[in-house]
Amino acid sequence: MILVHFIYLCTPLYCILYHMPNVSKKNPRIKCARLISFRLHSTMNKGGARRYENNRTYAHPLPLIFLDSSSNRTRSILGLLGLSRSQVNNPHCEGYYDASTRSVWVVTQRDSEILWRRGFFGKGNLSRSEPSWFVRQIQDRQSRKVTSNTSNFSCQEMTSEEIREKRRVERKQFKLDRAAAIAKVAAEAETIFETEGRVVVPALFGPEIPSGATWKPKAAEIEPSLDPKLSNAENETAVENEEGGEEPLEDMEHLQLTLSEAFFLAWNLDCLTILDPETDEPLSLPDIWNTFQHAHLAFPIPSFPASELQFDNPFLVHYAVYHHYRSLGWVVKNGLKFCVDYLLYKRGPVFTHAEFAIVVCPVYEDPQDQEISNTNLQNASPFTWSWLSTINRANSQVMKTLILAYVTIPARQRLSRQTLNSPACFAHYSVREVIVRRFIPARMRD
Amino acid sequence: MLEIHPSYPALASLVEKYPAHRGSLFQTYNDILLAQQWRDVQVIDLGDCRRGALRGKRPKTATDPESLLDVIPCSLAESITLAWYRQLYLAVVSDDSSIVYYKLSPGIVKPSI
Repeated sequence: MILVHFIYLCTPLYCILYHMPNVSKKNPRIKCARLISFRLHSTMNKGGARRYENNRTYAHPLPLIFLDSSSNRTRSILGLLGLSRSQVNNPHCEGYYDASTRSVWVVTQRDSEILWRRGFFGKGNLSRSEPSWFVRQIQDRQSRKVTSNTSNFSCQEMTSEEIREKRRVERKQFKLDRAAAIAKVAAEAETIFETEGRVVVPALFGPEIPSGATWKPKAAEIEPSLDPKLSNAENETAVENEEGGEEPLEDMEHLQLTLSEAFFLAWNLDCLTILDPETDEPLSLPDIWNTFQHAHLAFPIPSFPASELQFDNPFLVHYAVYHHYRSLGWVVKNGLKFCVDYLLYKRGPVFTHAEFAIVVCPVYEDPQDQEISNTNLQNASPFTWSWLSTINRANSQVMKTLILAYVTIPARQRLSRQTLNSPACFAHYSVREVIVRRFIPARMRD
Repeated sequence: MLEIHPSYPALASLVEKYPAHRGSLFQTYNDILLAQQWRDVQVIDLGDCRRGALRGKRPKTATDPESLLDVIPCSLAESITLAWYRQLYLAVVSDDSSIVYYKLSPGIVKPSI
């Protein structure tokens, strides 16, 4: 009797094969296999589980959800007639306009979560992306109470900040190892010269020296608690000290939306209400339109008398670019870390790295307008080759493609001032992209 | 919105004195104190530059009394000259609360590793 016993031990998929005892000699093939999956997907490893979770959490690309409770058949029949019974589920989020930081603050947990999870709008002001400060503080406190072994890798997933810290520690170790290897090679070259008189040029790379591709981090460093009694005693005193001075933790973080993001949500999707912090009253769209532009003129104190709004207001120029890419489906985030204006993500920062880095280059349709303008728009004048080279180099290192987004600012002569009273003026702005890639003739022939 | 935030009292005098820089000072102060968790954070008035600055110690080197570091917050739209300073960190604040810190030193400095 051949017993074939097959068990896959990868979560979450289990595969159990049934064996047929006496039949096996005649029919050695396994009779049947039953796949029992605990989750309704076919990926078999931890990366797959996380992808599945992400696909579930970040399933909606925008805060508005379309719900259609009718059956598939009804939907297809109505669809043929061009009709639909979907209803729009609008979360109606709220935020406060803050003039000093030139942004909109979303202070409630519910709204922050919705805006981040449905479209990656905003950024936690104490975190690198999603507001996670409160969670990190709690984990910190817990890890100080528990023994050092279990630390932050306990039952919870690591926040992106913790992953970043881990990565930085590993990178530092790699650099130390590499420096040590280079020093060792140099020392060997010295001794060879002294003993044999032969000159060996010490290499900076090669088989002996770890590189990014070959270096591996050492297996998880568990802090040695050699004497369990000793470490317990230490922990007890630590716990006593903490509990003595432990204050209840208040969440000091909020989700911060840029004016472009806030205007996009308020004007296009109508899912954000922007409140005046002094009066708690919602601002009307014309108010928002004017306030956001004035915020960029005399920052942060509005000038008296209010200066006239012009076509080259930085809010208009940047919003044109933001809207252009958002409406094409890209997730647009701030690009300060890479010396650019925006980063484009295909689905979101949680899924893949940004592939494109955008620099906004405003162009005046009428050069006269630029001369008489008070606003000093960045990158509106011809840029130096060194600037372009620097930004291109910085972004190539992180494997992003640099895009120059040229925004045409309409001429004052051609349009009346009335056009500026509403977002209808955006019809006169255009965005054109130019992709920059460094060309190295010697290397790029193959 | 700044006025009702718990961090406001520490910054109140400088925010009133130099209103043009209050956004970046506020954001940098919160980031340094709460997110980066620096110790002994003080707020300083740089009269000659007409702006506020921060001083404190990084958590890893906090026990060393010599390790006080200076941080000057500024926003993307500004142009700033700091030629007269010895060594400091420049915190560039963006509208969405992203902050990048640059370490400025006089002359060319090789990285430590």
